[in-house]
Amino acid sequence: MIKVTDLTKTFGKNQVLKGISTTVERGEVVALIGPSGSGKSTFLRCLNLLETPTSGAITIDGTAITDPKTDIARVRQRIGMVFQHFHLFPHMTVLDNITFAPTQVKGMPLEEARAKAKELLARVGLSDKADSYPSRLSGGQKQRVAIARSLAMEPDIMLFDEPTSALDPEMVKEVLNVIRSLADSGMTMLIVTHEMKFAREAADTIYFMDDGKLVERTKPEQFFDKPQSERAARFLEQVL
Amino acid sequence: MNRKKLKLISFSLIAIVVLFLAIGQALPAGNGKAGFNTVHAVGADDAPAVGEKKKLIMGTSPDYPPYENVDAKNNGEIIGLDIDIAKYITSRLGYELEIASTDFNGLIASLQTGRVDFVMSAMSATDERRQSVDFSDIYYVARNTIVSKKSEPLETLESLSGKLVGAQLGSTQDLFAETIEGAKVKKLNKIPDLIQELNSGRIDAAIVEDAVAIEMTNGNPDLVMNFLPADSDENGYAIAFPKQSAIVGEFNSVLAEMSEKGKLDDIVQKWFPSEEVQASKRLNIDFSVLKGYIPFILKGVYVTLLFTLVSALFGLVWGSILSLFKISGIKPLEWFATAYTSVFRGTPLLVQLTLIYYATPQLIHYEIPALMAAGLTFGLNSAAYLSETIRGGIMAVDKGQREAAIALGVPYRKMMVRIIFPQALRTILPALVNECVALLKESSLVSVIGVTELMRRADVVRSDTFRSFEVLLFVAAIYYVLVLILTSFARMLERRLRRSD
Repeated sequence: MIKVTDLTKTFGKNQVLKGISTTVERGEVVALIGPSGSGKSTFLRCLNLLETPTSGAITIDGTAITDPKTDIARVRQRIGMVFQHFHLFPHMTVLDNITFAPTQVKGMPLEEARAKAKELLARVGLSDKADSYPSRLSGGQKQRVAIARSLAMEPDIMLFDEPTSALDPEMVKEVLNVIRSLADSGMTMLIVTHEMKFAREAADTIYFMDDGKLVERTKPEQFFDKPQSERAARFLEQVL
Repeated sequence: MNRKKLKLISFSLIAIVVLFLAIGQALPAGNGKAGFNTVHAVGADDAPAVGEKKKLIMGTSPDYPPYENVDAKNNGEIIGLDIDIAKYITSRLGYELEIASTDFNGLIASLQTGRVDFVMSAMSATDERRQSVDFSDIYYVARNTIVSKKSEPLETLESLSGKLVGAQLGSTQDLFAETIEGAKVKKLNKIPDLIQELNSGRIDAAIVEDAVAIEMTNGNPDLVMNFLPADSDENGYAIAFPKQSAIVGEFNSVLAEMSEKGKLDDIVQKWFPSEEVQASKRLNIDFSVLKGYIPFILKGVYVTLLFTLVSALFGLVWGSILSLFKISGIKPLEWFATAYTSVFRGTPLLVQLTLIYYATPQLIHYEIPALMAAGLTFGLNSAAYLSETIRGGIMAVDKGQREAAIALGVPYRKMMVRIIFPQALRTILPALVNECVALLKESSLVSVIGVTELMRRADVVRSDTFRSFEVLLFVAAIYYVLVLILTSFARMLERRLRRSD
């Protein structure tokens, strides 16, 4: 369970998050949507402290991760993150990309890590790419490898930061399918996305953010059919 | 995270210390190559029991035959008139003799810093030097000699008026040349330089001493010599000791005894053959003069490569640490690294080298071997340049790489070593190769502190043969081949690193 209390984040003079409070239940799939610059990505990045919150508290399964005494590296091992631009390690093969963290961070034996990596590659449909270098893969393939890399650490929570925004249109589907199957498996997930159809189908909850605030937090059907705020209605009008 | 950075830094520092201790341990075995020759002065009847012998270290600049030069054609031992006298005296007194070779200009400093116990290097007992060191009685008096071109011979002091006269920097002839009326003096570091300047017409005459003049004219048939009358004891050679040295008296008594028994004359006779074989007319460039010297020169390749490897590795490790300091976000570390880079980039390498070599023994009482001092200096210097290169390489790695590693929970050290550095390396490899090539070639600088690498050996052969072009062309070719090999290695490495593209 993730509990966020009155979270703010300021870059210089620019307040990007203006006090966000919410709770994400175990197994809940959250889609974060909203206009660009609304603070979605910053909010997501605060959850594994890629950005240090300016004030407020974040608690994950009872551990206050904003407490300076908390071993943040340990917490991060339990939170997977997938980036818009994949960030695969270009000097390693696909298999090495996936086994690196389990072997180096968790001390998992290499053989075990390899077996697990192959399993994950099969799950994302890339068994034949194990020995390729990232430069040989298409964008969709890269993103699927990135998802497998995160899953190899066996996280409890997955964060997706616009996972399909950098992809050519014909590759969006293959990535969304992987994310959807992950959602169906019961993983707790937060997804920043512009794919409204996907958000409606896959998410349990929609967070609509605007100007650093969490404006709406509702079920997908309600959000897309009867948005409560005028700002959300206008946003939907523009994107749908 | 900062604690982890500190752990990484201290780990690396320990690695460097260990590296240097290892080099220090490895060096004494190779010291014969690095400028030291131990001569066991046994054979004297009254030598005390083995094991109780005290060792005396003699400093000399072995580029001044027949007084002292490296026997390059045989085993590279230092031989000569001075060496024979030194061997005789030390064996009479029951000491073991060790010979340390240094540039002539560094001999007095070696005495003052206690690197050597005495100096014999055809050194005249001038009043100036007496202010810094003590001298023994004089054991040989040399005559000043004018060497000039056969086509424009200059025979008397008077004829030198209005001419440009060359002399070896710091030599007695240098002082003497200053007193010649109307003549301008050009000071050069080495005797072979004088010959080159004469041959190329940049000086009109050179003032050297008799023995040198004989060798010069033998090696260069276009030159003639004219002896000047020996003026006084001003030109006499004596053994130099540190001020208040206790062994001056012992040495003087043996010198007196040698002079009495005619032993001194015997040694002088041995090294000054009365009639030199007249050299045949030679071509301007004649590589046959290198015959017999080539194995001696080639041994320098090993020293040069060892030196380049050590300083490049040290520079890379220390430069990486400095670059981490610069991006650490910890202010004192950033300041330190910036100031360090500024100082080491802003002062001449030669100055740093000389300072480290001579100051270390006085500051921390550690007799730093010449090769280690050289490796240390070049490593420290190269690190200053590399830290900037590496910092640039690290900055050029996509920020997302760091975020991906952090998000996976990878600790700082593993992230830098396994994720960031390998990618930075690809960007900076060409710059690293440049740095290695520069190190390899600049290694010729370290000959000034007596490391017998390629250039030093070339100098030795130049002073032996009194010919320059042949040996300089030869070592230039060796350097060039070494650089070619290095760059082709680098190309292979680059291809390997690029296989992921």
